[in-house]
Amino acid sequence: MLKRRTIPYALLLPGAVWLIVFFVFPLFYMGRLSLETGSIGSYEFTWNWGNYSDALDLYQTQFVRSFLYSGLATAIALLLAYPLAYAIAFKAGRWRNLLLFAVVAPFFTTYLIRTLAWVTILSDDSPVVDVMKFFGFVGENGHVLATGPAVIAGLVYNFLPFMVLPIYASLERLDVRLIEAAKDLYSNATTAFFRVTLPLSAPGVVAGTLLTFIPATGDYINAQFLGSAGNQMIGNVIQSLYLKQSDYPAAAALSFVLMAIILVIVLVYIRFAGSESLMGEEAAR
Amino acid sequence: MSAASTSARFWLWLREHAVNIVAALVVIYMLIPIAVIFVFSFNDPAGRYNFTWVGFTLEHWGNAFSIPELNDALWTSIKLALLATLISTVIGTMMALALVRHQFFGRRLTNVLIVIPMATPEVVIGASLLSFFLILGSPSLGFETLLIAHVMFCISFVVVVVRSRLIGFDRNLEEAAKDLGASSLQTFRLVTLPLIMPGIFGGAMLAFALSIDDFVISNFNSGTTVTFPLYIFGAAQRGIPVEVNVVAMILFFFTVAAMGFTTWQQRRAEKLAEVRPEQETTVAGPAGSSAATQP
Amino acid sequence: MSSIGGLRRLAVAMAVLAAVLGLAACGSGIEAGGDPAGSGGGNGNRVELEAKPSGDLTISNWPLYIDKQTVPDFEEETGVSVKYVEDVNSNEDFLAKMQPLLANGEAGGRSLMVVTDWMANKMNELGYLQEFDPAGIPNFQVNLADNLRAASFDPGRDFAAPWQSGMTGIIVNKDQAPDVRSVCDLFDPQYKGKVEMLNELRDTVPLVMKCEGVDPNTADEADWMKAIDKIGEAAQSGQIRRFTGNDYAADLTNGNAIAVIGWSGDAVQLQADNPQIEWRMPTEGCILWSDNMVIPVGAPNPTAAEAWIDYVYDPVNQAQIEAYVNYVSPVEGTKEVLLEQEPDVAKNPLIFPDKAFTKKCSIQPAPTGELEENVNRAFNAVLNG
Repeated sequence: MLKRRTIPYALLLPGAVWLIVFFVFPLFYMGRLSLETGSIGSYEFTWNWGNYSDALDLYQTQFVRSFLYSGLATAIALLLAYPLAYAIAFKAGRWRNLLLFAVVAPFFTTYLIRTLAWVTILSDDSPVVDVMKFFGFVGENGHVLATGPAVIAGLVYNFLPFMVLPIYASLERLDVRLIEAAKDLYSNATTAFFRVTLPLSAPGVVAGTLLTFIPATGDYINAQFLGSAGNQMIGNVIQSLYLKQSDYPAAAALSFVLMAIILVIVLVYIRFAGSESLMGEEAAR
Repeated sequence: MSAASTSARFWLWLREHAVNIVAALVVIYMLIPIAVIFVFSFNDPAGRYNFTWVGFTLEHWGNAFSIPELNDALWTSIKLALLATLISTVIGTMMALALVRHQFFGRRLTNVLIVIPMATPEVVIGASLLSFFLILGSPSLGFETLLIAHVMFCISFVVVVVRSRLIGFDRNLEEAAKDLGASSLQTFRLVTLPLIMPGIFGGAMLAFALSIDDFVISNFNSGTTVTFPLYIFGAAQRGIPVEVNVVAMILFFFTVAAMGFTTWQQRRAEKLAEVRPEQETTVAGPAGSSAATQP
Repeated sequence: MSSIGGLRRLAVAMAVLAAVLGLAACGSGIEAGGDPAGSGGGNGNRVELEAKPSGDLTISNWPLYIDKQTVPDFEEETGVSVKYVEDVNSNEDFLAKMQPLLANGEAGGRSLMVVTDWMANKMNELGYLQEFDPAGIPNFQVNLADNLRAASFDPGRDFAAPWQSGMTGIIVNKDQAPDVRSVCDLFDPQYKGKVEMLNELRDTVPLVMKCEGVDPNTADEADWMKAIDKIGEAAQSGQIRRFTGNDYAADLTNGNAIAVIGWSGDAVQLQADNPQIEWRMPTEGCILWSDNMVIPVGAPNPTAAEAWIDYVYDPVNQAQIEAYVNYVSPVEGTKEVLLEQEPDVAKNPLIFPDKAFTKKCSIQPAPTGELEENVNRAFNAVLNG
């Protein structure tokens, strides 16, 4: 009886301890920092809530922009990742590990090299951009890089694996016969998909969208290399507050505000997406 | 044969294979920058930048490992990523199991605890972790502190991926195993674990990718240790040696080969499994010899 | 959930919170310090020399800033074992990473670090550096280039010894932007969307001030803000495509940009493969900066660090470094040595500029205190849109 009750705690212990010691404690330290004033080397704790009100006042543009970019990037990533995850799960057979790897492979080249490769591909003189100009996607004197869409494209590219892997994991456990049966029941494959496959893979979709949206909102690298001054995200602001202005309290306060907003969005999203069962409250039944 | 019915057949074919076509296009999209990196690994620039195509050479492939700092950094990153993946996957899977299957005090809080690290900007995690290590009086910043940091940010991702796999897992399979006399441990090992393996594998891949690519958090907590991304970001200030492209491609091809090899092994095993029941009595020789050559 | 369970949870949460805040309070000493190392500039932290250099030496420098032979040669000559780490990839990152250590009087094992002028100034003001003992660096005393001797932030050259210098000016694509000769030309609408500027406050804004006729080293806050406003407008209108680190190099080569503010050393590398790319001295002059060797507090082996400084200030050794690095050498006599071995390098005005060439250049300004805070904030607001 006692053993049964302690199992979840035993399973949780290493992870919870690790996260609490190496994340939550530093987080409290950061919280303390966010209420300080002064300059580097001489901060003083003064319950300076001004840092928080500044954060909310000064950076609204960047906040909105960040959520817009990461929201769009998440949506696009979902549209691209789902067919890929589906194909890997059901149609790849024994090549699935290889394909999964192909999805993650770009990470071995490091963020900077990948992004510079895109800078080369999307540069003003490149054939790719010429084609886009031909089809009218880009104006005659326009450029693709140093714009909002370039930043979003970069976000999609870098976070695609985060979307593919959970959806794949969730789809792969589906019995193919369920899908066949659904196709038989419904007049066409599309309805079968929306009525059966998609709901069954919902946990994967929710996981993928969370794993993409949350880190993408705080990203700064894509905006730094692929965007102009008008495309910078809140992550860039935090970087500049911390590193360039050495204003640690403001950076810490801004980070907390960002985390709080993301948390609220995530909680609302989970409610909306069908709630408890998706967050793993399965044991409630 | 009218033009209309040919085009109708084409659209039909397209619809049937739509998913595969889109999937193929996405894979190509993922690999386009890799192709560019590959091409430029054969470049022969006179200066220290590798942005303009000058000429073809195999020299850098021949000297791929001629920059000791690059090699050290790469080796450090690989060791770090492998260890961090191992630890975080084990810990993360355990957490996912606890969260999905058990009702316990603090469950909601734990769910939140998992999500917050993903939402925290890396600058802040990196810097606050550094200060924390110093408060602890940690002996030296270096590989150990890097490992701790990497495991920390990987755990959340592993948990989320494995959890999505665990939800909806058919518990009846485990019940059946238990009815047949398996202990809890055996059930877990022989039934549960293989079935959730794709989720664990997916989480592990994500963790590995995150670790080997991490820059900001590593920058703060590495002491004088240099990881592969740190080396590259640093080197980029003065120029990126072509060897960086070469090494990246070697990593890529090596892992493709490893994946391909395991796939090929699987195929062989399946084939052997098909063949054996018929030929068991007559052809013990070949089956025996091929078993001997299997590593 | 019963209310009892809820209360219990609340109690536990409060207990945890209290415990951790207590813990965090202990840690406050870390960044509110600076005291163990003394305070302010000229803080009296001085290197104490031993008779002879020995042991281990850990150096932190920027990447690709040294050739392959110098470290082994130094080890052979002095018997010191060198650990050469290339972990400085930006001044700010490095400060952020080192600050908690330095505030505690430690340097993470390093005895020598290389940072740009303004960062050396800042570190010194915070009390993180040690002054040299002149007895250990005779070559430095004799061979330091004249124009670097009286730096405004370190008039006696007590704590910062230049490693390499550089010039910030304009880099253009000769074919596409032949007429760009001044930083003010970058605001010409015919180049709209093809111009880039550095995200470095102390390079970009002083250059814009210069082209408006203001001396950056005597400018007041109004001058700075005026220049920042001008840059801000250009950014808003799309005149300035991006603000970059040294990734302008990629943009210049693939046609994204045709005129940028950039560093002399990069241009030398770019020209090798892209003859149409040229560094130009702005008509109003460039900005001169140096990356400096400094000895931090808590350095385990300052004697060996000084031996290193002395070693690289020997023109023969410096020639070996310069032939590879191709920035501007701070050591007198290097050019003469290189004339025989590598005449191309010796005659390149970007590597060995003569006095006429740099006549109008200004030393990179390093605003401090409230001025620094205000201009930093304003400039970053421009960078981040």
